[in-house]
Amino acid sequence: MSFVRKLNSFLLPFPILSWLGLLAGTLLYAHPGLVGSSVTLPTWVPLFLQAVFTLCVFVQERTTTDRLRGLDFTGLLRRLVLGPGLLATVCVGLHLAQRFLQHELPTTSSLAFTVVYTINVGLFVLLLARTTYAWRSLVLFRASTRLRHLWNWFEALLATTLLLRLLVAAPPYGLSMALLGVLASFGAYVSSHQKWVAYLSRRQKVDAVLLQVAVLLSMGIFVVYFLRVQREAHSVAPATQLSFLLLNAGFAGFYAIMGLLVTFFNLPTAGVFEQKREEILSLQRLTQLIQRGQTPEEVYRMFFDSAIQTVEADAAWLEVEATTEEEYTGQYYRVPPEQALAIRALLTDYNLGHIEYLNNDLPNSSGFRSLDLPYSSLIVMPLRSSKRQYGALYMLKEQAQGFDRENLSILQTFASQTVLSIENLQLVQASLDTQRVQDELKIASAVQDSLIPKNLPIDNWFEISSHALAATEVGGDFYDFLHLPGRRLAVLIGDVSGKGVTAAFHVAQMKGIFHALMQENPLARNEREKFPVPSKFMAQANNALARCLEKAAFITASLYIIDYEHGGFVFARAGHCHTLYYHSIKEEVSYFRTAGLGLGIIRHDGYEKHIKNQFYDYNPGDVMVIYTDGIVEARDANQEEYGEERLKQMLEHTYYLDADEIKEKILTDLNEFSRGQPMHDDQTLLVIKFKAAQPEPAL
Amino acid sequence: MKITQQATDNTLTLSLDGELDASSSVVLDTELSKAEILNNQKVLIDCRQLNYISSAGLGVFISHLQRFQDAGVKLVFFNMQEKVHNVFEILGLDSLMTIVPSEAEATAI
Repeated sequence: MSFVRKLNSFLLPFPILSWLGLLAGTLLYAHPGLVGSSVTLPTWVPLFLQAVFTLCVFVQERTTTDRLRGLDFTGLLRRLVLGPGLLATVCVGLHLAQRFLQHELPTTSSLAFTVVYTINVGLFVLLLARTTYAWRSLVLFRASTRLRHLWNWFEALLATTLLLRLLVAAPPYGLSMALLGVLASFGAYVSSHQKWVAYLSRRQKVDAVLLQVAVLLSMGIFVVYFLRVQREAHSVAPATQLSFLLLNAGFAGFYAIMGLLVTFFNLPTAGVFEQKREEILSLQRLTQLIQRGQTPEEVYRMFFDSAIQTVEADAAWLEVEATTEEEYTGQYYRVPPEQALAIRALLTDYNLGHIEYLNNDLPNSSGFRSLDLPYSSLIVMPLRSSKRQYGALYMLKEQAQGFDRENLSILQTFASQTVLSIENLQLVQASLDTQRVQDELKIASAVQDSLIPKNLPIDNWFEISSHALAATEVGGDFYDFLHLPGRRLAVLIGDVSGKGVTAAFHVAQMKGIFHALMQENPLARNEREKFPVPSKFMAQANNALARCLEKAAFITASLYIIDYEHGGFVFARAGHCHTLYYHSIKEEVSYFRTAGLGLGIIRHDGYEKHIKNQFYDYNPGDVMVIYTDGIVEARDANQEEYGEERLKQMLEHTYYLDADEIKEKILTDLNEFSRGQPMHDDQTLLVIKFKAAQPEPAL
Repeated sequence: MKITQQATDNTLTLSLDGELDASSSVVLDTELSKAEILNNQKVLIDCRQLNYISSAGLGVFISHLQRFQDAGVKLVFFNMQEKVHNVFEILGLDSLMTIVPSEAEATAI
C-alpha cells in the first residue's frame, strides 16, 4: 500500500507535464508556422503524446487510494458530479469564449481554438479516468477476489483496445468488432455487480439516481462538444484522436447507464429493504430490552410496546394466562375491555382463539360485522412454546388490509423471543428454588450431624470407636449412647427404611424415644426394673412408632445395655444386622444369631413375642462389632456384596488390635472392596473392645 | 424388574425377575394394591429370579401383609435365593410370612 501511495505522489506531476507536452505537440501539428519551421510534424507525434497523457492520468487515478469511504456511496457520486460537473461548465464556458474570440479576432482564432480544444481534451480524459475509477470502487465493493481479478483483466483489455484504436488508424474491421464484443460483454458482466445499491435507503437511492444522471449529463456535454467541433478539429488533431475519445466516452457512459438502471429499478424495493432493516433493529432492541426484564411482567410489557410500535397498530391488547405465581394477566391499548372481550368471545366461537389469525377485512366478515367495530384489520398472535400456552396478542387497525404477511412474521419472531425469555426466567427461578431446597437439606444435614454423639463414652473397661457416613445429605442410620446409673451403658444402633428427609425425621424420632424410654422408672420395685430391658424397650418403641410411621416404612434397631461392673451385657435385636463377636476365651469369631422382628412391621401388642433378650458375660479382650446393612451390602464392580463372611474374616485377623485400629482396618478393606462403586446406603460401624479391669486413675 | 402373572382358579402367582429396589417396588405395590387380588385364596410369589430386595421392597410386602391376612388371602414365597432369604430372616419376616423352598410346597399349602 505504501508503495502505491509513493507511486501516486511520484506520478503527481506527470499528467500536467504530459498535458503540456500534448499542448505543445498539438500546437506544432496544427500551426507549423508558429515557430518558423516549415517542417510538418508527423501525425504519430500528437497521438503518441495523447496516449502518454491518457496513460499518466489513468495510472495516477488508479494509484489514488479508494475514494469510497465506508458506505458513503452518495458522497462518492457527489464528489464525482462536483468535479466533472464543474469541468463540464468550464468546458462549455471555454467553448463560448473561444466562439466569441473567433468572432472578434479572426486572426488568432485558430490558435485559440487549438488551445481550448487541448484543454477540453485534458479535462475530458480526467473526467473519464475519475468516472472509471469511481465505478471501479462501486463494482468492487465487498467483491470476491475472483471479481477483483476479473476487473484487472478487464482494465488491461480496455487499455489495449483504446491504445490500439489511438495508434492504429484503421485496425482490421473483424478484429476491432471482436474486441468490442468481448469488452461489451465483459463490461456488462462486471458492471452487473451492484451490491452497493442494497445498502442505500430510499432517499439515498433517489440521490444516487440524480447524481448518476448528472454524471451522464456532464459526459454528454463533452460528447456534444467534441461532435460539434469534429469538423474544425480535423485541422488541429488527427481523426483517430477523436474516435478514441468517443470510444472511451462510450464505455464510461455504459457503466453510468448500467448503474443508473440498477439503482432506478431498485427504487421500489427500497421500502421493503428499509422496513426489513427497521424490523431487524426493533427485534434487536426488543431482545436487548427483554434480556433486561427481571420479571415475566416486564418482559410481557416490553413485548407489547414493541409489537404495537413495529406494526403501528391502532389498538391492541395482550392476554396472559394466569398462573399461581404470576399475577399479571395482560393489558389494553386504546381498546375498551368489553370490546376486546366481545372479539375474544367471537374468536372462541369460531374456534380461532389462541391460534395465529389474520383478518384484513373485518366489516365484511360475518361475525365481526355484527360487533360494529371501528376496526377493519385484526391479527391474533399466540404466545406459546411446545410445552404450554402463555397467552395471546391481539392487534387492530382501523383501515382494511392494514396488516401484511411481513407483520405476521415479525410478530412471530417477537412472540417466540418473548416466550424464550419467559421460559428462561422460569428456569432461573426453578434453579433458585432447587438451590433453596439444597440449602435447606444442608441445614437438615447439619442438624442431623449434631444428633450423632460426638463424645464417645470413655471408661477404662472398654474402648469404643465409631464411624458414620451418609449416602445422601441426610441419612437413615443412627446410633447413640446413654450412661445409666450403676456403671451401665446403653448403646443403640439402627436404620430407618428409605432415605432422605422422611428417614431423617424418623431418626430424630427414634433418638427421642430412646432418651425418653431410658429414664429411670420411679415406681420400680428393684434396681433391675428401673430401666426397661432391651426387649421391653423395643416393644414400647414399636408401640410409639406404630402411630406415626407410614405404612410401608419400618425401622431396624439393636439395643445393648452393657453392665461393666458385672462384666456382662444384654441386648435385643429388632430386625437389625446380627452382632459380630470375638470370644477371647474360645478364640473364635461368630455372629449372635438371635431372632427379632423389625420395628413398625406389626403394629399391635403381638409384637413383644417376636423379640428376645440375649444375655452374655463378656471377658477382657472380647470385641463386639455392630453395624448397619450399608456395610455388609456394599457392592464391588461385579455387584457382589461385601457380606457377613468377609466381615467375620476381617475381625478374625484384627481382633487383637485397638478398637480404633480394628475399625480402620475394616473400613480400609471395605473401601478397597467397593472402590469406584456408588455408595448405595448409609454406613455405620461401631467397634467395642472390652478390656481387663484397670485401677481407677488416682484423682 | 420384571413381574409376570399367572392366574389359576383361586391362586395368583407373581414371578419377580431382577432387583426389587425403590423404583421397581412402586410397580409391585401397584400390582398388590389391586382390589381384585383379594379374590384369590392364595398369592404365591416366585422369587427364583429375585436377586436383591431393598428395604423399600420389603416395605411393600410388609404394608400389604395385614390386608392380606384380614381378607384371608395366604401370601406364600417360594424358590427364594439364599441371600434374599437372609434379608427376610434378619428382619424377622420369616416368622411372619410363609416362605417355602419349592413351588410344589407352595401350592400344597
